[in-house]
Amino acid sequence: MATLELVDLAKRFSKKVWGVRKMDLDVNEKEFIVLLGPSGCGKTTTMRMVAGLEEVTRGTIHLDGKDITDIPPRDRGISMVFQNYAIWPHMTVFDNIAFSLKLKKMPKAEIRQRVQETADMVKIGELLKRLPGQLSGGQQQRVALARALAVKPKLFLMDEPLSNLDAKLRVVMRTELKAIHQQTEATSIFVTHDQSEAMSMADRIVIMKDGEIIQIGTPDDVYFRSANMFVAGFIGTPPTNFFNIRCSVDGEEISLKHSNFKLVLPLKDFSELDAYNGKELVVGVRPEDIAVDSSDKALFTNKVLVVEPQGSHQVVALKLNDAIVKTIVSADQSVKPGDSIGFNFNLKRLHFFNMETENRIKTASEI
Amino acid sequence: MRITKPQLSLSRDNRKKMVPYLLIAPVIIYYTIFWLFPVLNAIVESFRDVDGIWTLGNYIYIFKDPVFYTALFDTAFLVIFSVTIEFVLAFGLALLINTKFKGSSIFLFLAMIPMALPAVAVGAMWSSGLATRGWLNSFLMHAGIIDDASKILFLAGGEMSRLWLIIIIDAWTVIPFVMIILLAGLQGIGADVREAGYIFGGTKFQVLRKITIPMLKPTITTAMILRIISAIQIWLIIVMLFGFNRLPTLLEQIVLNYDELGAASFERIGLALSVIVAIIVSATAILYLKVSGSFEKKKEQEVE
Repeated sequence: MATLELVDLAKRFSKKVWGVRKMDLDVNEKEFIVLLGPSGCGKTTTMRMVAGLEEVTRGTIHLDGKDITDIPPRDRGISMVFQNYAIWPHMTVFDNIAFSLKLKKMPKAEIRQRVQETADMVKIGELLKRLPGQLSGGQQQRVALARALAVKPKLFLMDEPLSNLDAKLRVVMRTELKAIHQQTEATSIFVTHDQSEAMSMADRIVIMKDGEIIQIGTPDDVYFRSANMFVAGFIGTPPTNFFNIRCSVDGEEISLKHSNFKLVLPLKDFSELDAYNGKELVVGVRPEDIAVDSSDKALFTNKVLVVEPQGSHQVVALKLNDAIVKTIVSADQSVKPGDSIGFNFNLKRLHFFNMETENRIKTASEI
Repeated sequence: MRITKPQLSLSRDNRKKMVPYLLIAPVIIYYTIFWLFPVLNAIVESFRDVDGIWTLGNYIYIFKDPVFYTALFDTAFLVIFSVTIEFVLAFGLALLINTKFKGSSIFLFLAMIPMALPAVAVGAMWSSGLATRGWLNSFLMHAGIIDDASKILFLAGGEMSRLWLIIIIDAWTVIPFVMIILLAGLQGIGADVREAGYIFGGTKFQVLRKITIPMLKPTITTAMILRIISAIQIWLIIVMLFGFNRLPTLLEQIVLNYDELGAASFERIGLALSVIVAIIVSATAILYLKVSGSFEKKKEQEVE
């Protein structure tokens, strides 16, 4: 149980290539933090710096208030689960898990007990005498997990640990990892590029892009109050739909004009948009906030391009001008490609973005 | 009597099963004619005298000859020390290059040069270098380390100094070869298993000993067996530096007896020696495999 502080952390690989440009992050005790971003965004590099596997170009790392920037990995009180498991093929499962305990000169009986305990926790208690080559990918992943848990680390690092598992097992492991975290309460950092994994596991998500933090927040924060268009487009499947809109203020009303529709909103709820009178801005609408509206109050009517059934719901794609717009429609509604259907927006869930900076324009209507 | 046909037309399955045998048949025929027959012939002839009478005389001659024991000792000494030195240095270099420091690829290229030289060229290079007026002495004189009066007589030393000279030259020639094999093995081991070693409490040395070396073991075994076998067979460099019979080794004695002495009776001694060397080489290789294999079993028992 520990706090972690990254202060002005940066990593430069060569003159022009930065792994991480600037990273400031405070991780609270017992917190489960997910570093999320597309590949090459610096999330893994950040984790490797925290682990001590990568030298730091600038900045400091503090664990429990102690500066660990320059101390070797073994003295940091951390443990890690690697993307490719990195378990040792020439050692039995027992020896893999016991490795760090043996190096710490823990008494044999205690090692035996600790290994059995952790192995049972991740459900490989029966496999201790096996060699990794005799295990399935999922079991190997559990060995890597047990090895990391056996140390009882102050800080638990996970580098895309689920990305090598098949889709079904991945979802099972998510739940298990979260349960293990609740049980051990170890401060954890989890790296992934899978936004649904991040949403389902994180206490807070750190969204990164090009070596910098774009937004730090709870899953609800990043989903409902995305800091910019990148986050809004990255989080959620299908991603947020963006519409370019011209804003004009007319008395007590704001009208937002798109080539296919015109939204009229009361100015008192969206007074922040006053500044954009006569200017263009971007409206983001999440797929579930676009609803079928067969009445004459529909905002716009459009032909359905494709229907993707998902069981619990269906994703309906439209072609609006040249842009694909995706909406989520309940499963019991019968929608076929080519159908002309009316749609409406959930006005409480509109996201506004500045067209140049792509940053969020906060409005009073936000939840 | 009814004639049944199936034997004539092979089923599709049987034909498929025959394909691999057909493909390796040329090799087997080649080896039978050009390898197995000569070998069997040599073995048979080593048990006969010049008149074709069966005898153990060739072997008795060898085992009574003190030079054989000198050759045996020298060869063993060469094998033990040159292979050990080569392995340690080559492994160190392989680890160094594997860190991919700046300029490591150039270093790798330079380090590989000795490997590209044929044994005769290596012999010529060093015999001209180590001669009293050779390039090594000239270099040392130009560098001002020695003067004309204190030239080093590299080749004039006693048996031990001759052995060490050969060991150094052999190591120089062979280290790149061993290094490349070990480097290939190292690159096959992902960086993450070593990183995991560091994370889970290992020092550099502990990770090397408990993770890198055990994982590299198949490669090490291959490299060592190849090296031991070829170290037993050192002779050309010895002959080029010292001539025959000044530093007897097993292979050198075979060449001397079979080719150089020119008498039919010595040819048979050469054949008998070849048989002995073949037995020694196989026995050494098997022994090495056994020894390195039994370590593995011991480890497995520790786990229980």
